[in-house]
Amino acid sequence: MNSLLDGTQHLGAQLERELTPEPIFAPAAGSLALHGVLFGSLLFYGILSGLLHHNLWGNPGTGGAIQVSLVNALPLPAEQQNDNVLTTQNPSKAPAEPTPKAKQAVDETAIPIAGKQEKPKKQPAPKNKQPQPKQNNLAQFGEQAGSFMPRSAMAQNTASNGPVSISNGDFGTRFGWYVEIIKRKVSQNWNRYEVDSRTSKGATAEIYFRVSRQGVPSSFKINTASGSPTLDQSCLRATQRVDTFGPLPPESNDQWLDVTYDCTY
Amino acid sequence: MKTDFRIVPIFAFLLFCLGSPQLRAQDWVHTGTNLGNDRIRIAAADFKPVGADPQTPALKAAFDATLYNDLANAGIFDLVSKSLSPQATPGSPQEINLAQWSDAPANAAMVAFGALSSANGRLVVYGWLFDTHNTANPQVLGKQYNEAASQDSARAVAHRFADEIILRLGGGINGIAETKIYFVSSRTGAKEIWAMDYDGQNQRAITRLGSISLSPRISPDNTRLAFASLGREGWSIRMYSLELDRPVAFPAGTAGGGNFSPAWSADGSRIAFSSSRTGDPEIWIADASGANLRRLTNFRGPDLAPTWNPRTDAQLAWVSGRTGEPQIYIMDQDGANIQRLTDGGYAISPSWAPNGQLITFSWNRKYGPGDPGGQDIYVMDIASKRWLQITHESGSNDYPSWAPDGRHIVFERAIGGHTEIWSMLADGAEQHQLTHTGNNFMPNWSWK
Repeated sequence: MNSLLDGTQHLGAQLERELTPEPIFAPAAGSLALHGVLFGSLLFYGILSGLLHHNLWGNPGTGGAIQVSLVNALPLPAEQQNDNVLTTQNPSKAPAEPTPKAKQAVDETAIPIAGKQEKPKKQPAPKNKQPQPKQNNLAQFGEQAGSFMPRSAMAQNTASNGPVSISNGDFGTRFGWYVEIIKRKVSQNWNRYEVDSRTSKGATAEIYFRVSRQGVPSSFKINTASGSPTLDQSCLRATQRVDTFGPLPPESNDQWLDVTYDCTY
Repeated sequence: MKTDFRIVPIFAFLLFCLGSPQLRAQDWVHTGTNLGNDRIRIAAADFKPVGADPQTPALKAAFDATLYNDLANAGIFDLVSKSLSPQATPGSPQEINLAQWSDAPANAAMVAFGALSSANGRLVVYGWLFDTHNTANPQVLGKQYNEAASQDSARAVAHRFADEIILRLGGGINGIAETKIYFVSSRTGAKEIWAMDYDGQNQRAITRLGSISLSPRISPDNTRLAFASLGREGWSIRMYSLELDRPVAFPAGTAGGGNFSPAWSADGSRIAFSSSRTGDPEIWIADASGANLRRLTNFRGPDLAPTWNPRTDAQLAWVSGRTGEPQIYIMDQDGANIQRLTDGGYAISPSWAPNGQLITFSWNRKYGPGDPGGQDIYVMDIASKRWLQITHESGSNDYPSWAPDGRHIVFERAIGGHTEIWSMLADGAEQHQLTHTGNNFMPNWSWK
């Protein structure tokens, strides 16, 4: 009995506790204040960066940012066999001249018989159908145009997520050939076999390094990991294998060049 | 829980700092792999003859041909053939129409052009290299040369201009247009040491010993030639000074037994060679003066044909027959850390690539009776021991030697009893025969 009474008393106390309003005012005010401050600081940052942001992204003129996007894979045909006469040592496929057909001899001394109807000669049907000569097998003169996409065509694609982006300064536009050298040399030193074959296709590691005025890379680090440690390490080693990219162009005033390099598996 | 609001402004400030415009004064480029074709499409315009000197056309012809061949042989360019080049011969930056070169059919990304004149016995050449796609700042290179007018100097100037272009566009690796190849030739009867330009031109005899001289190795500073020669003391290592044009002393290389296959260290201070003065051919090292002789290997079986790692200058690769057939091994210069590279067959004549990562050698992978394999040139990546066969089914190939640019290899090829010197790109492409007279062996590419 006592225990029952205790039980009801206990239940009553619990009910009372649940019905009394909790002191939520202080935490709510705190939360409101925090949100207010966060919002305010964001606003403050927006105004400040709007006032002080001098990065002329996309504006024309020097110092602007340029996004150059090279296409990832060119839909180029595979190494074509060059059938040209002048660029190969093989003889051309030009057809041999046809041997002149012997004309049917006409007996000029024969006296024509008036009213004689000449029987139409039956054309013998060819046993095996002659293959039609290819229409497009004439000898072409001159070399075929190289299967190179003009760089100007690539540059027109200005998608912002292209693999090559150059910002903050005009090095990339003035010395595009130097950027090409960086691309080529690291690419040559990248051993894809070092990458774990389970790495998903398209995984990309981004390496940062600094190129000194003499062209020597240093300060290598993984900027963005790909999720595959072997890919990250192989890309890092590819950049580290390069002794030099050659001195920076003497016309450039830069003391060094910061480079980020993508290795896409 | 109590929130400390004092950190909020700090957060806001950090956020502001992170997002603020990059205040670096330096440039930033971003690039990556898989971005298209590897080779630079380059056009070499005919140079513009200036002046009416009767010598000019001949000099211009030699210059144009040499420049064209050097760029074609560089291994990093896709050269626009002459038949596709525009007819124009721009002689100065004002005269060039870049669109003419960048458009089809030339499609050149780069164009080399300039003017050439000869007057009063002087040859003056102005050369430029322009990026055709960069109309605002097209100039990549501008050079001027002034030399005594002759065919040789026209060729030399073209070599130098080509090397400048290759240095600029090849990523800081010097071109090889001015390098030399030393080799053994028996065209005069005796086997003497000869030299030629890298393209096979200008072949001339160095030694006239009237004996048998083998395996020439040029010093890194191009002043001395070490080689093995048969003399009164038997086979000895001899030294020939190209500056004095006479043999100089190398006392370490004349002890009894056979002394063969010298090899210079990259700093030119030491020479490794094989000597059987203790009975068994072993690798020995001496200073270039012939002092400080010491033995490196000590194992039953012959040890031959050392070559230094030119990058570290602290490792050697050599051929050892300690397990039977000759195999390629590497070790540190104190004889430690011996590693075997090849796993069988008959592997000889290693040459270490300038970047230190690759070794080229001659290998008959299926050697033995009833198993006739071909002796071919291979390249091996030392770290991974992956190898690549780069000559295929054409004669017996031996004595590969790297060019200083790491892109070319010179080697000897024997076809039908005739042995000649050939060169090729390090992937086996563009094989060219360099010698055509007599039998020629054991080429060695100079260091610069």
